Amino acid sequence: MNLTVNGKQHEVDVEDDMPLLWVLRDELGITGPKYGCGIAQCGACTVHVDGIAVRSCQLAAADVDGEITTIEGLGTPDALHAVQAAWVEHQVAQCGYCQSGQIMQAASFLDLNPEPTDDQIDAAMSGNLCRCGTYPRIRAAVKTAASRLQGV
Amino acid sequence: MRPVLFALLIAGTPLAAQNVSREEGLAAWERIYAVASHPRCTNCHVGAQEEPMWEGLSYGRGTAHGIGVKADESRIGAESMPCRTCHVTAAGRETPAHAPAQIDDAWRLPPVELDWLGESSAALCAQLRDPERNDGHEITDLVDHLTSSPFVAWGFAPGGGRSTPPGSPVEMARDVALWGGAGAPCK
Repeated sequence: MNLTVNGKQHEVDVEDDMPLLWVLRDELGITGPKYGCGIAQCGACTVHVDGIAVRSCQLAAADVDGEITTIEGLGTPDALHAVQAAWVEHQVAQCGYCQSGQIMQAASFLDLNPEPTDDQIDAAMSGNLCRCGTYPRIRAAVKTAASRLQGV
Repeated sequence: MRPVLFALLIAGTPLAAQNVSREEGLAAWERIYAVASHPRCTNCHVGAQEEPMWEGLSYGRGTAHGIGVKADESRIGAESMPCRTCHVTAAGRETPAHAPAQIDDAWRLPPVELDWLGESSAALCAQLRDPERNDGHEITDLVDHLTSSPFVAWGFAPGGGRSTPPGSPVEMARDVALWGGAGAPCK
């Protein structure tokens, strides 16, 4: 099976129904996406497929129908994505476990909706849980990132 | 509606002879309403409200979709969190209770004009027979939806301990064809 992850093609020998998260972490060593619940209830495993945020823990490898981007491919230390930069600016992370999922969700959301309302930000991020309760900083960082992406 | 399929559905029924009685039509409607008012249908056949519903598993009556989901005007949540973030498009993968359902189609809500959550039998009957109030669907279009939609097929066999409406898509389609053959009567 061939998968394109962060712009690089990989050939993997896995069962069709292996969750994409397993492929990424155990087969390819890409460990930014995290395991949380396994049934799309927490968002820790969020990656992009063709730019859309998806929960990789319950997407079977054989059902992937586009190019995958993980947190490792979103930006680089020298050229952070606007969402990553905003996360640093607001010092969002506490323990950090959920944060790659949060950032991937926010980046995809702002790509689809560059000028979101506060309610839309809350709705877009509601599927990503954070046991440290960093939600107020997440909301603030998403708003900052939206402004930066708008060039404001 | 594919004519051949329609002919097959009504073959052997009184509709084939164009003499379905009003009583038979009304009886068919009762069976149709038992299905259409089931949470497996009304969870998605919601109106301009932002949230789909989550009824028919362990969730109580009146429970809206969790996770802050808002389908919004796009009906696919494009303004916030798209349905496909969690609802994978794939065939034949039964998901456990509390995990998002997967079907071989893009997960979305029906048009807002096809809202009937909480409607009475009489109100829904009047709505479904009137193309002006049902998003332009003739009876044959409704039969087509029942026989061809992956959403309907999943609704009758959702797996994971989810409740199901009575009957099957074929039986439902046959009843709608019968009802239509009787002139789509309402009480």
